[in-house]
Amino acid sequence: MFAQEKFTLSGTISEAQSGETMIGVNVLIPALQTGVVTNQYGFYSITLPKGTHQVIYTSLGFESYTQTIELNAAVNNSISLFETTEMLDVVILETDVEKTNIKTPQMSVTTLKANTIKRIPVVLGEADVLKAITLLPGVTNAGEGASGFNVRGGAADQNLVLLDEATLYNSSHLFGFFSVFNPDAIKDLTLYKGGIPARYGGRIASVLDIYQKDGNKRAFGATGGIGLLASRLLLEGPIVKDKGSFLIGGRSTYAHLFIPLVDPGNENVAYFYDLNTKLSYDIDDQNKLFLSGYFGRDTFNLGEVFGNTFGNTTLNLRWNHLFNDTLFSNLSLIYSDYYYGLELKFAEFQFDSGIRNFNLKYDFTSYVSDAVKLQFGFNSIYYKFNPGEVFPTTDNSGRNYRKLTDKYAFENAGYIDGNIKVSEKLNIQAGLRLSNFTRLGQASINVYDNDNPIIYNQNLDVYQKATPIDTISIARDASIKSYLNLEPRVSAAYQLSENSSIKASYNRTAQYIHLISNTSSPTPFDIYAPSGQFIKPQLGDQFAVGYFKGFENFSLEVESYYKEVKNRIDYVDDADLIANEAIEQVVLNGETRAYGLEFLLRKTKGNLQGWLAYTLSKSEQRTPGRTAIETGINNGKWYNTAWDRTHDFSLTAQYKLSEKWFLGANFIFQTGRPATFPLGQYEYQGQVVPVYEARNASRLESFHHLDISATWNLKHKSKKRWSDEIVFSVYNVYDRKNAASVSFRKNTDTGNNEAVRLSIFGIIPAITYNFKF
Amino acid sequence: MKKNILFILVTLLLSSCEEVIEIDLQNSEPRLVIEASVNVLKDGTSDAVVTLSQTAPFFENYIPPVTDALVSITSSTGEVYNFNHTQNGIYTAPFLPVLENTYTLEVIHQDETYTATESLHTVTQFEEVIQDNQGGFGGDQIQLKAYFTDPGGIKNYYLSETLSIRGDERRAFNDEFFDGNRINDFYLADDLAPGDVVTFNLYGVDEYFFNFMIVLLQQTDNGGGGPFETQPATVRGNIVNQTNSDNFPLGYFRISEISTIVYIVE
Repeated sequence: MFAQEKFTLSGTISEAQSGETMIGVNVLIPALQTGVVTNQYGFYSITLPKGTHQVIYTSLGFESYTQTIELNAAVNNSISLFETTEMLDVVILETDVEKTNIKTPQMSVTTLKANTIKRIPVVLGEADVLKAITLLPGVTNAGEGASGFNVRGGAADQNLVLLDEATLYNSSHLFGFFSVFNPDAIKDLTLYKGGIPARYGGRIASVLDIYQKDGNKRAFGATGGIGLLASRLLLEGPIVKDKGSFLIGGRSTYAHLFIPLVDPGNENVAYFYDLNTKLSYDIDDQNKLFLSGYFGRDTFNLGEVFGNTFGNTTLNLRWNHLFNDTLFSNLSLIYSDYYYGLELKFAEFQFDSGIRNFNLKYDFTSYVSDAVKLQFGFNSIYYKFNPGEVFPTTDNSGRNYRKLTDKYAFENAGYIDGNIKVSEKLNIQAGLRLSNFTRLGQASINVYDNDNPIIYNQNLDVYQKATPIDTISIARDASIKSYLNLEPRVSAAYQLSENSSIKASYNRTAQYIHLISNTSSPTPFDIYAPSGQFIKPQLGDQFAVGYFKGFENFSLEVESYYKEVKNRIDYVDDADLIANEAIEQVVLNGETRAYGLEFLLRKTKGNLQGWLAYTLSKSEQRTPGRTAIETGINNGKWYNTAWDRTHDFSLTAQYKLSEKWFLGANFIFQTGRPATFPLGQYEYQGQVVPVYEARNASRLESFHHLDISATWNLKHKSKKRWSDEIVFSVYNVYDRKNAASVSFRKNTDTGNNEAVRLSIFGIIPAITYNFKF
Repeated sequence: MKKNILFILVTLLLSSCEEVIEIDLQNSEPRLVIEASVNVLKDGTSDAVVTLSQTAPFFENYIPPVTDALVSITSSTGEVYNFNHTQNGIYTAPFLPVLENTYTLEVIHQDETYTATESLHTVTQFEEVIQDNQGGFGGDQIQLKAYFTDPGGIKNYYLSETLSIRGDERRAFNDEFFDGNRINDFYLADDLAPGDVVTFNLYGVDEYFFNFMIVLLQQTDNGGGGPFETQPATVRGNIVNQTNSDNFPLGYFRISEISTIVYIVE
């Protein structure tokens, strides 16, 4: 007997109209009960026995394409798929119910297409990526006006946010009112809440992996929208037809232009702008080049008092190379810069800080056989942290020039990950990541007595800063401290029946850079600090189990998780973090734990689509004293993190009423977020001072709102290539005054103490005009 | 300041709204509050006041004074200054501290002894006040700047206080960014008008009091809450309960030199 010959079927799948490569297309061979999915660059490869095979290419929103392939030698079959016209306006949630998804061991993940995000009604009528993902189970934020997002009880700095493989350090504009992502420029986004594959690392809680569109290779096009507060315009088109394309998109708010109309003489401004750019070129069938860039800025100016600018810049060059039809590779060279600048005009100085990094990544995918896929590669990042630079802005400013010492680090990782079909019913993904973090030398480093930067004063029961006994200088190419961590990542899926499976996963992740922030949610003032002698890397362990079932038009996902994180930084009570040269004097190492149960019920077909998500969870932190005598923080007791929400319920639905009208609604209900309330008051220097309870021991009122939207598709029969729509939306229909915060203070008029609730968003109607050409 | 600015931005940006609400708060056991402040003026006179009170439930209007305690300060050279209760929990004594000594405060109340040790912290001198009629957010408010020169080469910490009928302001700052320079403290009030009397006080303090005041000022300003807020926590001063360390007092024992300048708005 001789073994059956096998050959490889591979290729790249694109959209017929634009030539845009397609992610997540299912390539199925029903007769063999096997299949594969296209990767982030639209590439697929599968090794099958010699012979004739019927292959079906499917993707929701597109016409399925069936082809009979004669596989007598390696076949390259790159095809295009056509959009289904009647489903054009329908919302889809990508991770569909197809068999390949029930089988795949990847759990705790959701993929969203840009169209889905655009249909969800949001504040001020602007489609928003971060608002959309907070509707998923396990994802929340620290309140209205809070930037960033929290995944499975994790902190906002524990999310790895990637845009075309480049790391972004700040994902929000204007305190979280908008995200930095322009939905028109996005092709696809995937959020991993757990079961994080070995190719990702550096952050504990999640990975938000976003890919931009490449640009239409076939014809010029424009997409845009004009809204009450912001507008956007995206231009794309071929550079060389079918081979190269460009994409350039911009977005900006202009609300500040209305302020002088309402309040003449008021020169305050608050605005942001983003610029997304991309150039793509297919050199030949084996080689593609991409050059992407992102530039975003937020600016606030308060008259003659204060000016603030911050934002991300990323630039990356990627080279896709096919070594052969079973070995795909991508090499990325990335530059990323996060800048923060503050000018206090009345105090006559400017403060600048930021983080800059250079990143080299090389990722390989080897489609070994139809049962085994191997991914391996390495990732190297060089960081420069500028904790702050102070410049006097006028000649007679009282401020001195001051530069806080730059910090440098090198983060390297290598990984290998295998997707293995063990049997018909059992699939496993097993990976190992080895990561190393080296804190490099810098011009001046503090040396402390007994290497202890923070002293416990037993007499007063407080932590105090230690005075350094010396400062030394270490060469940039020498190491102050180095860490090495092994990060196993394992997940498995066992198919129970045709439409259901159970999955389980375990992952260990290491995080070497930390956002220094003692506010409940990140503010642009917060600084990233690298691990080193005193600040240890965070180490997280997450276990998750889940049950997945597909029905006629529905799917159900139930997952439960448990996470523990060691070395989570916590701040002593009066920690002053701004421009702090020696953070180690005000922080202690603590730990966090989070656990929860998530339900996601989705309807993915028909005129009514949407999902219902419910999460029951707990997220808490504690920092015990380092010895038996020390009190630790909050007396070493567990306390709720600022984003702990016991119940988190989201319902989002979209209904296609007719060819022209499309309705949408969201209902969100969450337990109020934790807060620290007073237990009493006293007077000091004639002012009322509250006496506080244990950290986050109380809660604000429940948070809930209902939003609705109606989209009017103005179909112009005469203009085939032009489509436009008007979106009417109302946020918070019943005008609930949700508490963004509660302050306790003395009313200067009545002399009584009172609790004052600040709410930010009442009922807000909006109109947006969107067009596509 | 960081918190103020962000708070202002949020309210400016949108039609956010503030509303007084009813909240049921728990009440803690009353705790002793010791505000012991000794100020030495530039002319050599001094003013030593110890105010004792207790914590009260948050929504009450009455702060109970403590009128039956024994208060004294002992110097490192052995002199004892006994404080007499005048009224409403205010205890005074003629007490002029000197630079060379350290002083220990002792308060005995309900059979428990509270102590703290401090020394005199000097301060530089106010030089002049300059009025700028084009200051503030809109560039059209009267802004007062009180100038002083920070001693170079040493770490200085300050508490500044500006008093007027248009509203009092307090700030704590250090010389990290202006060591050795001539710098100003400023005062801005909405309705500052010609003829208003504004008093600037500058207290010399140490790093511990500076840290204490920074947190206290944040808590009195807005009382906490909100995503930009740092975690509020009951801030401890420098006074210890020798008898029962769990029953710690609130407040601070401070000895400062003070520079004062009074200005009449033109």
